[in-house]
Amino acid sequence: MHYIEVKDLSFYYDEEPVLENICFTVDPGEFVMLTGENGAAKSTLLRNILGLLTPSKGTATISPVNERNEKLAIGYIPQQVASFNAGFPSTVLELVRSGRYQRNKWFKKLDAEDKEHVERALKSVGMWEMRNKKIGELSGGQKQRISLARIFATDPDLFVLDEPTTGMDLDSRREFYELLKHNSKVHGKGILMVTHDHEDIKQYADRHIQLVRKEDSPWRCFSMDSCKEPSKLHS
Amino acid sequence: MEMFFYGFMQRAFQASFLIAVIAPILGLFLILRRQSLMADTLSHISLAGIALGLLLNVNPTLMTLVVVVIAAVSIDYIRMLYKSYSEISIAILMSAGMAIALVLMSLNEGGTNTSIQQYLFGSIVTINLAQVQLLFFLFLLVVGLFLVFRKPMYVLTFDEDTAYTAGLPVKLMSIVFNVITGVTIAVIMPIVGALLVSAIIILPAAIAMRLSKSFNLVILIGIIVGSVGMFTGLTASYQFGTPPGATITLVFIVIFIITTIVKKLVNQSKYKKNQRT
Repeated sequence: MHYIEVKDLSFYYDEEPVLENICFTVDPGEFVMLTGENGAAKSTLLRNILGLLTPSKGTATISPVNERNEKLAIGYIPQQVASFNAGFPSTVLELVRSGRYQRNKWFKKLDAEDKEHVERALKSVGMWEMRNKKIGELSGGQKQRISLARIFATDPDLFVLDEPTTGMDLDSRREFYELLKHNSKVHGKGILMVTHDHEDIKQYADRHIQLVRKEDSPWRCFSMDSCKEPSKLHS
Repeated sequence: MEMFFYGFMQRAFQASFLIAVIAPILGLFLILRRQSLMADTLSHISLAGIALGLLLNVNPTLMTLVVVVIAAVSIDYIRMLYKSYSEISIAILMSAGMAIALVLMSLNEGGTNTSIQQYLFGSIVTINLAQVQLLFFLFLLVVGLFLVFRKPMYVLTFDEDTAYTAGLPVKLMSIVFNVITGVTIAVIMPIVGALLVSAIIILPAAIAMRLSKSFNLVILIGIIVGSVGMFTGLTASYQFGTPPGATITLVFIVIFIITTIVKKLVNQSKYKKNQRT
């Protein structure tokens, strides 16, 4: 089964193509990185996959269920997360706990297991001591960390991450990649991550999909080299 | 104390309490969704509904409800068109509401000015029993929905894309929220007046946001601030013979100024204490 399946996807902004002929899959247990120069429509591609934008041609589908045939849980970190509403009246703990709601807890009280997930997630990004702080009082890097903690608390089947390590130092980034790799290899999570950090991440990711500029295109249009299997980093 | 012996003042205090609970719940979500002015817009549109009702000889409250629900749905549609500048929908519909109201009023020649004035400025002390009952029904609806949908609304207001990927019906929730806000405005407006309804909905939540760092506490503090402001304003209005809606709003403004100054002083003293240690 594929968690994500993108088939011959093209996307146009006002008739101008920005993405053409994109094909790839992300499977359970796979860590895929997506790269491309600035303006290569990487975030646009993610938004097409998630259903936040509609492809102009082709399809992007996300499996409705996980390997255990339960409803697939998605953890998404958008690119601009570090600039989120500074005045939002919420503590770090409240925000990270909200990651558990989509685990069938919209109308139920969080139980001990949920709280354990939240505590572990906050500790994994080094933010447990800051749990009672107001989120607006945090620095950009700290906001990024609690966004990561929020999706680790969700414990999703599929991670869709748009430059999630912006504002983090090298050691923290490596710890984070290690954690993602552990999640994909040990817990079978599917991961699709947009990054500019591809040299550093090579040793952690399974596959690398690069969006490249189409030379014959009249506009800044990006595509993959072809619709064949993208380069494998590790066999 | 003599004011409590009057039936109209008892009803006014009952209505004040109900509004004090409803207002910060809606107000907080409106502020966080960058729709602080939506209450203002819908109250302007309500005026168009009232003018239409008076013109067609249909119950103005009923006509207002219909018009406001249509506007509340339209706001969300226009908000999607200008996603990064969601306030544009507010500006467009506010002008449209006022323009339609004025045109309809001019078409209806023959003494509707008093009725329009009554809706424009409102008067909580002329509230009747049926209005208190309607307000009580609205109170049950808003509080009930808040208790059930608190968690989905938290995620929706934090980030709509995150809410969508978490499986929430973002569009439907936005429309239902707008419709409930519209219905609330239509019910509250004749009581406090179109000009002040927005202030009464937004100010308690805005004050509470400055006083609390926790989401749940903001609502609770908002209700306390709302009750204090409504009761104080109503009492002052009775004592000094000033317009109730305007007096209540001024009390909220005073509370806002005091809390801002006190918070600044507390922050400064904390900063100095940290400097010393």
